Amino acid sequence: MNVAGADRNRRLVTAGAGTALALVMGLALLAGFRLATQIRSSITELQTASELQTYPSVLTQQLTALRQRLETREYTGQAHEELAGTVARFKHDLRRLARRSDMQSPQLRDAQRMWQAYSPLLAPILAFSGEPYVDTDSGSSLSDSGKMYYRNVRQAQLLAKQNVGRLHRLLTAVTRSLETQTSGAAARLRLLLSGGVLAALALAAAAAYLQLTRARHERAAREAQEQTRDILKTVREGFFLLDADYKIGSVWSEALAHIFGRNDFAGLSFEKLLEDRVPPTTLATAVKYIKLLWGDRAHENLMKSINPLGQLEISADNGRGGKETRYLQFDFHRVVGAKGVKHVLCSVSDITSNVLLARELQEAQENANAQVDMMVGMMHVDPLQLGSFLDTTETGLQLINAILKEPARTDGEFRKKLGGLFRELHSIKGEASALNLMSIAQRVHHLEDMVSELKKRAELSGNDFLPMVLKLDELLAHLRGVREMATRLTALKDAPAAAAPAAATRQKPSPAERPAGRTGEDISPTLRALAEKLAKDHRKAFKLMLSGLAEVPAPYVATVKDCLIQMLRNSAVHGIEASATRRAQAKADVGAVRVDFRRAGEGYELVFEDDGAGISPQVLKDAALRKNIITAEEAAAMDTRTAMALIFRPGFSTQEEVTMDAGRGVGMDVVARTVYGLGGKIGVSTNPGRFTRFKIVLPAAEAASSAVA
Amino acid sequence: MLREEELKTFVEGTTNYFEVAAQQPATIGSPYLTEGAPSVHDYTGVISISGKREGVVYFTAPRAMLTVLLMKMQENDFSHETMRDLVGEVANTISGNARRDFGRDFVISVPSVLAGEKPEISQKPGQRSFIIPINWRSHSAKLIVSLT
Repeated sequence: MNVAGADRNRRLVTAGAGTALALVMGLALLAGFRLATQIRSSITELQTASELQTYPSVLTQQLTALRQRLETREYTGQAHEELAGTVARFKHDLRRLARRSDMQSPQLRDAQRMWQAYSPLLAPILAFSGEPYVDTDSGSSLSDSGKMYYRNVRQAQLLAKQNVGRLHRLLTAVTRSLETQTSGAAARLRLLLSGGVLAALALAAAAAYLQLTRARHERAAREAQEQTRDILKTVREGFFLLDADYKIGSVWSEALAHIFGRNDFAGLSFEKLLEDRVPPTTLATAVKYIKLLWGDRAHENLMKSINPLGQLEISADNGRGGKETRYLQFDFHRVVGAKGVKHVLCSVSDITSNVLLARELQEAQENANAQVDMMVGMMHVDPLQLGSFLDTTETGLQLINAILKEPARTDGEFRKKLGGLFRELHSIKGEASALNLMSIAQRVHHLEDMVSELKKRAELSGNDFLPMVLKLDELLAHLRGVREMATRLTALKDAPAAAAPAAATRQKPSPAERPAGRTGEDISPTLRALAEKLAKDHRKAFKLMLSGLAEVPAPYVATVKDCLIQMLRNSAVHGIEASATRRAQAKADVGAVRVDFRRAGEGYELVFEDDGAGISPQVLKDAALRKNIITAEEAAAMDTRTAMALIFRPGFSTQEEVTMDAGRGVGMDVVARTVYGLGGKIGVSTNPGRFTRFKIVLPAAEAASSAVA
Repeated sequence: MLREEELKTFVEGTTNYFEVAAQQPATIGSPYLTEGAPSVHDYTGVISISGKREGVVYFTAPRAMLTVLLMKMQENDFSHETMRDLVGEVANTISGNARRDFGRDFVISVPSVLAGEKPEISQKPGQRSFIIPINWRSHSAKLIVSLT
């Protein structure tokens, strides 16, 4: 039996004993009251009996006195009256004594019998009302009635004299009997009173015990209450109980008020507690979860594992009139009673600092990992190439910043920026991916995502560009870090040549490092690295065959590189089939991508060809229809040549999902735009299932300069 | 790195001022970055910040814009001093907003006002500032956030 049960039993026993004692005391008092009444009556009767004892001698004396008066012819009126009074009192008292039901004394019965025998003698005496004397000459003499009266008196007096002793004794015996009865009753009364006093004492003791026990329990309860209050006041978690209606009980820890900035929790529903602080979907999930906790079959550990409020982001007042984001952790425990779940105990902890710390640690870890990855990536990149890439990227980002800087007030003005931003970002990402500088490529990809999101918005404003400008700042900071790291790496690699400036800094390569002095950097390593990465990322096998790229004149290096990167990515994603597919089509397992750059007349010719799946005009038309680039009527009317030209349209992509390498529909339009910008031409030819070939014709480098100008 | 919500606090502090003082909201132009000391307009309110972030936040506006703003506020005094006070008031609102949102993480100075001259702020080499154009009616001011 638990402590509470034993306590309850003790209280029941105490209360039962108290009631029994009170009952005993009440009965004793009732009996005592009856006895006292009886004693009082006995005392009265005792008095009566005592008085009765005197009457026989008084009667005798009065009869004697009446006789003497009659004999001496004296006035008898007074004596007669006194006798009549005594007889009346005697009769009355004797009757009263005899009326007592419990008065069963044989002496009284004898006395009554004696009186009954005697009273007829007295009756004619008492009935006499005439004049006992007659006056004669010789004086007064008894009249006839007087003589009769005298005889009756004498007879009664004689009988009285004879019986007075016996009657007296009988009445004395009656008195004694009454005395015995009274003292017996008094003794019983004393006993009863003693019992009553004892019962009262026992009751008082029981009451005192009960009071003491209660006081002890109350003290213990007070102490427990105080301890509970101290716990609830001190504990850093918010604690409260939820009832079956999902409402908060009347007790909660003080921390709850700090966490939620309110103090009116009693009766507040759980839903109301979180309303306006969490998104409606989260709130709905939380409420569903709470309801599940009340199910009898819910397994607590399992429920804990699916707790949707393990880390809840809420918007809270910051105490200065503003709002701040805080993270709360809710924990739930079911309080189970005999009839199932009674309450659900909820604990809420403010884990904001933990979350922020974990986030900072994660960021630091990611940064460290990214730096290591970056360093490893950079070690495989030619310092000259890296320096060139960083310069180009920085220029590209400056261009992006310049696009952002263009004043804008209207949606149209803001929207106009998006195309330019996209093209620049895509170009940077392509080159970063080619060099396997993924930390840069991913950051740029994120920026591309932002631009994509903005394109979808109905109305654009400056506020929408704030996240982008922050990301741009972060990217620039990252680039600076990469540049610094590259400098250190170069210094490490080339310690004896430390005097020479680091290649990856803004230093340009010396003329001696450039082939023939008129051509630019060799872009072959970049393309090979990109091909290797793309093959790995897309699980494709293909061989990259390059020729003539060392001859690309300096003004065309960037353009040729951008174009080839884009076309190589397209080949890897869309063109080259998986080995199994190729095998099924009786093609070699390993695909082939050929790049050939050569002089052609006054200008140059760049041919890019893969032996992949080719391009189906119908697939192009379908994709353009899906993306609302063309209408169904336009598609129906489109010939093969026009359909092929779709790949040069801005926003066109046959891929639904956006990845690092394809899907945004920005790529071939950038290539085409750049080529046209240089005064060149681009063309595509394909044979579905066999090959795709791009041919780019560029004018002489000088002509290109003038075209750009 | 400056967080988006931090940047938004400064922006909202600025636009709120126009909404409350002139009953006409200001809008945000296209934000961009600038390296080195940013160019300023005729009047500039400066708040220095230390603590979790270090640096300065300026609100800089041309005289013409401040004149129209004063007119909208039923002011008749367009003196140099009134212009200074007005820019100081905007800076003060930005500072109040930042105090409300950032609390003890940021120590924010009492705003100071510069007229005409370029603020002499010690910037680390290569440090960039966020420039957020504040467009109000046909005028344009700038909110410059230069924090590390």
